[in-house]
Amino acid sequence: MTVSDDSASNLSHFLAGLRASASLAIGYVPMAFSFGVVALQANLAPWQAMAISIIVFAGAAQFILVSLLAAGTGGLTALTAVLLLNVRHVFYGPALAAQLARKPGRWSPLLAFGLTDEAFATAMSEATRRKLPPVWCVGVGLGAYGSWVLGTALGVMLGAGLGGDEGVIGQALGFVLPALFIALLGQAFQRALWPVIAVSAVLTGVSLLWLPGHVAMIIGMVGGALIRPWVELHREKLS
Amino acid sequence: MNFLTLILLAGAGTFLMRFLPLVTGSGLSQRPSRLTLMLSALGLTAITALIVLSLVGLWQPQQPVGSTLRLVAGSASVLVALRVSGHVGVATLMGAVVYGLTGL
Repeated sequence: MTVSDDSASNLSHFLAGLRASASLAIGYVPMAFSFGVVALQANLAPWQAMAISIIVFAGAAQFILVSLLAAGTGGLTALTAVLLLNVRHVFYGPALAAQLARKPGRWSPLLAFGLTDEAFATAMSEATRRKLPPVWCVGVGLGAYGSWVLGTALGVMLGAGLGGDEGVIGQALGFVLPALFIALLGQAFQRALWPVIAVSAVLTGVSLLWLPGHVAMIIGMVGGALIRPWVELHREKLS
Repeated sequence: MNFLTLILLAGAGTFLMRFLPLVTGSGLSQRPSRLTLMLSALGLTAITALIVLSLVGLWQPQQPVGSTLRLVAGSASVLVALRVSGHVGVATLMGAVVYGLTGL
């Protein structure tokens, strides 16, 4: 393959990744819009809300950060909370790397920057059908990033009057992310893996009774994944 | 700590938590193993855990039956729309619209 063939192939994979991020944008724009509104309500300046979305780019952690800043929490505490909330991302890199068609090489920094919960879920859903070109993942991540920054900008510019909206639109926006996750699970679902899904759901739900959400999520994720080799062994015995 | 320093540190920390495991874990794609099987399941389990977290966050204890029914209606409509359209975006929108309308 020549250099120009390689570039054309990379461009084509990148554009396919961008197209795949359209589903993500449907979830991201409303959520980022809400973030922009919440940040203004927490007395942050518009540039500060934008800076958080542009530099940090970590959905739930951004909401926590803003609420801690609004409550007058010290910087070190807020920083610790953000990093603890994002520690689950440590699991995403190796899991995604195992599904890549080749090593990400020079694309690694861009790929890692866009590796949010939703981009990871989208990639892993696609990985049930094929090995993933790293540049495709970069397209998904950058598409998600663009829609996140755009949504924050819209929230900062237009959302000041919508903060407390309890109408159909406000309520529908609240269900966008769960709906996106359910659709991604529906797309990635494999009948043989139902025990993995069930264990993960039960562990997350039970952990939530006593633990904060980000800890419950890690327990559910890791607990469900731990039984995956057993499921494979059981499937091989049956076949 | 001023605002900009805080944001830069939060951004750098988040990036490193995504970047370092990706780089150090890249060799796993070449070695199928028990660990690779577990890692391949993390996507599915992460989505599952996120669903549980987000649905629990929307459940209202003061209206247990009503809010449960709305969540079921919204979730079911996502799956039906996904089955019919095969498109994640359309299914997401349909679920959000049904959830919003059932709250009237």
